[in-house]
Amino acid sequence: MLRSASGTKRVKFLLLALLLTLAVVLPKQGRQLLQEIGAPIADLLSFPIQAFAALDRSISETWAGYIALRQVHEENRRLRGEIQLLRGRQNELRELAYASQRLATLLQLKERTIPSTVAANVVGLDTTNWYRGVVLDKGQRDGVRAEMGVITVAGAVGRVVKASQFASVVLLVTDPNNAVTGLIQRTRDEGIVEGTLGGRARMKYIPLLSTVQVGDAVVTSGLTGGFPKGIRIGTIASIQKEEGDLFQSAELIPEVDFSQLEEVLVITGVRPIEEVDTGPAIGETS
Amino acid sequence: MKKGLLAVLMVALVPIQTTVLEHVSIGGIRPDLCLIVVCLVGVMFGEVHGMFLGLALGFVQDIFSAGELWLNMVAKGMIGFLAGFVSRHLANATPGAMLTLILALSFLSGLVFLVVERAGAGLLDALLGVRLLVLPQAAFDAAVGTGVYWLVAGRTRRADVLSGRRISLR
Repeated sequence: MLRSASGTKRVKFLLLALLLTLAVVLPKQGRQLLQEIGAPIADLLSFPIQAFAALDRSISETWAGYIALRQVHEENRRLRGEIQLLRGRQNELRELAYASQRLATLLQLKERTIPSTVAANVVGLDTTNWYRGVVLDKGQRDGVRAEMGVITVAGAVGRVVKASQFASVVLLVTDPNNAVTGLIQRTRDEGIVEGTLGGRARMKYIPLLSTVQVGDAVVTSGLTGGFPKGIRIGTIASIQKEEGDLFQSAELIPEVDFSQLEEVLVITGVRPIEEVDTGPAIGETS
Repeated sequence: MKKGLLAVLMVALVPIQTTVLEHVSIGGIRPDLCLIVVCLVGVMFGEVHGMFLGLALGFVQDIFSAGELWLNMVAKGMIGFLAGFVSRHLANATPGAMLTLILALSFLSGLVFLVVERAGAGLLDALLGVRLLVLPQAAFDAAVGTGVYWLVAGRTRRADVLSGRRISLR
């Protein structure tokens, strides 16, 4: 007997309701199932994303390079890159100087860690406006895994939240769902750095007695996974200290210009400095 | 042909959303192409097609988003269903009606995200989320969606929708 159209529709709805109920009642198993279903789709779609990104980039570059004052733009970009590089180096040196002031000679180098990294291109933004995230063109095949830290020469960018074979999604430090333990470089006070809805970052749980000032640099403390100690997060722009509060909080201006993100480094592992002498592995930079 | 079109939508829409659309963002807000397409499919082809396309596109969106792997899928599925359901009761699918419909559905989708993603946040944060994200997103989606509807839906199709005849995907 032929099933009526409304009967087929009812069966479809029932199946769907069953699936959704399973996803809600068994969130862990449901998520795992969705991940397994999604993995080949992610692999398949990472190619059109990279193709669109390459097309977009080449059109943008053509437009910016040849039509809109090519030389000025090129020079500007080079100088911006140079400034970011120098900022990164300056920050590294400052961090070293602080360490050398505080620690005995033996501890100076042993505490310092050098991460092994994989270079990746930013090929897109998060598919919704609800998350400040970017899509990278490197995935599990290149050693990228969830929870790994992402940096540029200027500082911390975010952490990997999803990784397929050929692509990965990074949640930026300016997203309210992201939290990184930070360290005020001058005072050595620790706190939690979270994103804000306005696109900046906020450092919470700074001790009340801390002498934190506007302009102080905040770096990663190395306590949470993904980031080694001393990666610059941002600069304190304002401090909030209200009567009766147990902690202070501060608003940060992120060090990285997220609107100009093109290439990033994914930290695939943090190794002690003496292990680095053998040189980086194939496909990695250090 | 129509199934081919669906396949093209599935493969091209999310890559376009994630790569090219930043050039048309206003104040950091990009239109949600998937939501717009799901709404239009719901209106033109009925709630079942709207819902299933919503589930599929939402799932693909979730794969390349930092959020939970089910959130867009459920939200878009619901939007596709509601678009079809509401349009069934629309006397006249004028641009004004489409604008209102997409505005309302995008706002609803935004509220779902707000509740799920900012559940622990206070009232002030929630209101800020509505002002900074939900409302601008809904307005942008409604404007783009109405424009796309006007361009895509030919006179015959509009007449079909108006007369209550659904367009079959088969």
